[in-house]
Amino acid sequence: MPLLQATGVTKQFGGLRALSNVDLTVEEGEIVGVIGPNGAGKTTFFNCLTGMETRTSGEILFRGAPLPTRPDRVTVAGVARTFQNIRLFHNMTVLENVLVGTHPRSRAGVLSAIGRGPRYKREERKAESTSRELLSFVKLDGLRGELAKSLSYGDQRRLEIARALATDPGLLLLDEPTAGMNASETAGAIALVKAIRARGIGIVLIEHDMRFVFGLCDRVAVLVHGEKMVEGSPAQVQSDERVISAYLGRPAE
Amino acid sequence: MTQFFQQLSDGVVLGALYALIALGYTMVYGIVQLINFAHGEIFMVGAFGGYTIYHYLLPDNMPALVALPIVLVASMITSGVLAAIVERLAYRPLRNAPRLAPLITAIGVSIALQEMIRLFYPNADRGEPFPQLFPNGQVHFGGVSESYVNCFLVVLSVVLMLALRTFVLHSATGRAMRATAQDPDTARLMGINIDRIIVTTFVLGGLLAGAAGTLQGMVASPIDFQIGFIAGLKAFTAAVLGGIGNITGAVLGGFVLGIVEALATQYVPNGSALKDAFAFVVLILVLVFRPTGLLGESVRARA
Repeated sequence: MPLLQATGVTKQFGGLRALSNVDLTVEEGEIVGVIGPNGAGKTTFFNCLTGMETRTSGEILFRGAPLPTRPDRVTVAGVARTFQNIRLFHNMTVLENVLVGTHPRSRAGVLSAIGRGPRYKREERKAESTSRELLSFVKLDGLRGELAKSLSYGDQRRLEIARALATDPGLLLLDEPTAGMNASETAGAIALVKAIRARGIGIVLIEHDMRFVFGLCDRVAVLVHGEKMVEGSPAQVQSDERVISAYLGRPAE
Repeated sequence: MTQFFQQLSDGVVLGALYALIALGYTMVYGIVQLINFAHGEIFMVGAFGGYTIYHYLLPDNMPALVALPIVLVASMITSGVLAAIVERLAYRPLRNAPRLAPLITAIGVSIALQEMIRLFYPNADRGEPFPQLFPNGQVHFGGVSESYVNCFLVVLSVVLMLALRTFVLHSATGRAMRATAQDPDTARLMGINIDRIIVTTFVLGGLLAGAAGTLQGMVASPIDFQIGFIAGLKAFTAAVLGGIGNITGAVLGGFVLGIVEALATQYVPNGSALKDAFAFVVLILVLVFRPTGLLGESVRARA
């Protein structure tokens, strides 16, 4: 059974068809790249998966069961994401940002928080140790007490990933994880994505950095004008005439 | 000089009450950017909730200090439940409507609650005497004196504010509230059910307003169906003064406003006749010179 199986995902904005019958399958522990020119519908596809936008039609199965359409339930089901334009809780500390991510896995309710019972304390301790572990996983353990907004750009990206991992996902959606990074930061990002896969998490990533995509992904799908044009191994996609012309334009006759 | 300190002390008492109510305005604004103009009425109904329990449910010979916590909790629960109902029925359906719609609805809810109390309590026009549940007597420090009940008001308010602070800063739900206030869409993607967070926020504000209801009844009996109007406007002023959306600001704004009002009443010629006007002078000054309030950050735009 595939981890994620999206079939015929379509999103219509008024007269504009942003996504048209897009299929995508992700197996357990697989890294799938989604590439395409700007405006091809890549982020819209993520939004439809995570319930941030309501898809016009299409079916999305996660671990064989229909994926809910409300964002909080999508997360509880086990799909997490990051954003192209980083969206941290800027006025909270680094540790608190990750703690917020543990929210769906915590069983401490409002009443137990007021009573501060043993279960509440146990849950809080567990959340905190998970969060600390994730911060050291993304190499931010020295910055736990800093406000998120004071972090450097690359650190903010890593914090966003740690926060997404705190929700304990089976599938992680990364929207341009290397946007704005320099070469050494990009190399760090490659190592991080591989380490996330090693934790048994499937990954779908949107990316414009082709070396990053082709070096890392097991499979690559190309979206153009809301339609999936090609899907295959990095080698197949790289040599596909249609992809080359979509990206580079047709050779001059 | 003694007179000055006496006014200062009275101002703190007044300010504690304003702060308790202001917290409800500011928390709700912080989460949903809505001025819940029905909050004053939620406070007023809370006072009547405590009154009702005392008169119709508690035995007549119950010792006052046993009845007090029951009345207090009854007021808090009344306001908390009412706040949840108002959120669910009046505001949630308008969550994505233009800002003006929930604002007008809030005014409608206010009027509905006032009239409801007026219908249910025949004497609510002239005022129902609130049970006096605290021993009479004065505390003296230096030349300043405050009644026991005023001291109780301040102590209880501070305890409730500290409890709220601990909850918001150090509990998982409080963390989720802060996350929702900063970025509701992202908060949802962290698996937070923001509908539940919003209703929790309304309930917390309601609980504090309910406690303020009982306290107001004890220090300023009788209570009538209109007490929520002035108290609500002043608490709203306190919230704006502190920086709306900022919890610490609401407390600070409450105390500052209470003290300004007490001092102005004493020192401005014919001040006691203008008692209720000072708050609005403050409101206008804040809006003109520092619209973000004392502790407010610049107003962020949100899509």
